[in-house]
Amino acid sequence: MSDNPPPPTTAELLAVLLARDLADGEKAIIGTNSDIQVAACNLARATHAPRLWWVSGPGGMVNPVQERLLPTAGYANIAPAEAWLDLPDMIDFIDWKVHFFDFAILSVLQVDRHGNINTAVVGPQQRPRLRGPGAVGISALCGLSRRFYVVAQRHDRHTFVPRVDFICGAGFLDGGRSREDAGLPPGGPRLVVSPLGVFDFEPASKSMRVRSLHPGVELRQVEENTGFEVLCDGPPPVTPMPSREELSVLRQKVDRDGVLRHAQR
Amino acid sequence: MQDNKLISIEQAAALVDDGASVGLGGWIFNSQPMALVRALVRRGAKDLALVPSPGSMAPDLLIGAGCVRHTFCVFISFEQHGLAPHFRRAAESGAVEVTDLDGPGFAGGLRASMGDLPWIPIPDLATDLPRHAPRQYRPLPAVPGERRLIATMAIRPDVCFLHAQQADELGNVQFLGSPFFDVMLAQASRRVVVSVDRIVSKETIRRANHLTKLPSALVDAVVHVPFGAHPTASHGLYEADDAQLRGYVRASAKTEDFAGWVERYVQAPASQAEYLDRVGGAAIGALATG
Repeated sequence: MSDNPPPPTTAELLAVLLARDLADGEKAIIGTNSDIQVAACNLARATHAPRLWWVSGPGGMVNPVQERLLPTAGYANIAPAEAWLDLPDMIDFIDWKVHFFDFAILSVLQVDRHGNINTAVVGPQQRPRLRGPGAVGISALCGLSRRFYVVAQRHDRHTFVPRVDFICGAGFLDGGRSREDAGLPPGGPRLVVSPLGVFDFEPASKSMRVRSLHPGVELRQVEENTGFEVLCDGPPPVTPMPSREELSVLRQKVDRDGVLRHAQR
Repeated sequence: MQDNKLISIEQAAALVDDGASVGLGGWIFNSQPMALVRALVRRGAKDLALVPSPGSMAPDLLIGAGCVRHTFCVFISFEQHGLAPHFRRAAESGAVEVTDLDGPGFAGGLRASMGDLPWIPIPDLATDLPRHAPRQYRPLPAVPGERRLIATMAIRPDVCFLHAQQADELGNVQFLGSPFFDVMLAQASRRVVVSVDRIVSKETIRRANHLTKLPSALVDAVVHVPFGAHPTASHGLYEADDAQLRGYVRASAKTEDFAGWVERYVQAPASQAEYLDRVGGAAIGALATG
């Protein structure tokens, strides 16, 4: 412990940034291939939010206590879980109920100025330039949870676009009051985390805004790699990096096998 | 009711007519009915319309082998191993028609079918899905003061292929792990075919009857195929075979490599035992979770 720990990888950084924003007692759902999501929730549970409650969307395991990151739908998550639900019993609170979940954390192919997200297609739906995996529960989680987070593992103009090619999950739609006007319950994207910074949404226009930039990142870099004008109120603060304590809990109590350390692309 | 529901894998494949809609159970790398899917490829099935639960190799192999004309897509991906190679290529070229479905559209469509309803109301979530699939999602009249709703039409596969861990000869099917959407898919489908890793006695079924999530009344046929979900996982018995999944994705990059893969693992093996021999005893043994 005398040496400085290795600096966080991007995946570790994103997990720590998300964990800080999750509160004790909140309810969440996590999808299939979600190492960063699981790490964020378990890190929060191991630090400031011990009563945070999460369920594996497909597998139904609740709060599996693990010191390793495992696929959420996997059998190994059953034994250490405090409850184990069947999907047909869960879909009412996943797909229909309003505000059952406090938050969801979602990965994307594209995210736009108003936080709408796309995991289906780049280009036209019938002859796409890139066919992605599909919408799954994203529509319901964006539409019905109290808030959601967007994880962008790349920050470039292919990912941060003026308007997504296919809205799988509604953010603030066209900005302003358009989300409420569409009849959706209060909610929407709270933060977008990327390898360059942390972003939120300006309250009136509901347009993406710089909240902080990671150490060494310049605003110009964000502007060059974002397909729309990102708002910025004055000189942006620097993202507080993961503390020694946060990294130590993450590496020893959440991700012992170093899945996020080896995820660097 | 028929007493013995055990049929051979070839008989199971013959239950699917060309042009049929086929439900596929499991979830990504769990309980994909892979042995049944390989039998369907060997039968040379054509023009299928797939109704896959969120999946990986089951829909992708059928698409790659040219068996598919249309597929619903809730989620089709190889996750950490990349995008689903043949699904991606066929969608981008237009060779296979794709209808995107979200979770509520799929779950509601199955529920409608389960209850013999034409449709089920789901929340209007302000996405682009209804615009691209107007035959699946229909507008409903707005009622002032009520939530905005749309309809998702009933989804009724002609037959569904599922994989579970064990069953008796009567067709009582037990899940040692998560059933995912399989029980809904079974109730929504006209015919239900389940592959199981092992056949157990009626007494064994009764001793742990809480595991029987598909009672015999919901099951038309059972196929006994040890490691029938391989290379995906079967909860409680074996893990997913990452090396085999990676090998499939790699082979799928080139037409001739994929043809070789299909010959080696789908066409040539005369039985599941021969298939497992080709994968290799050490590789299979290492997947056991006991």
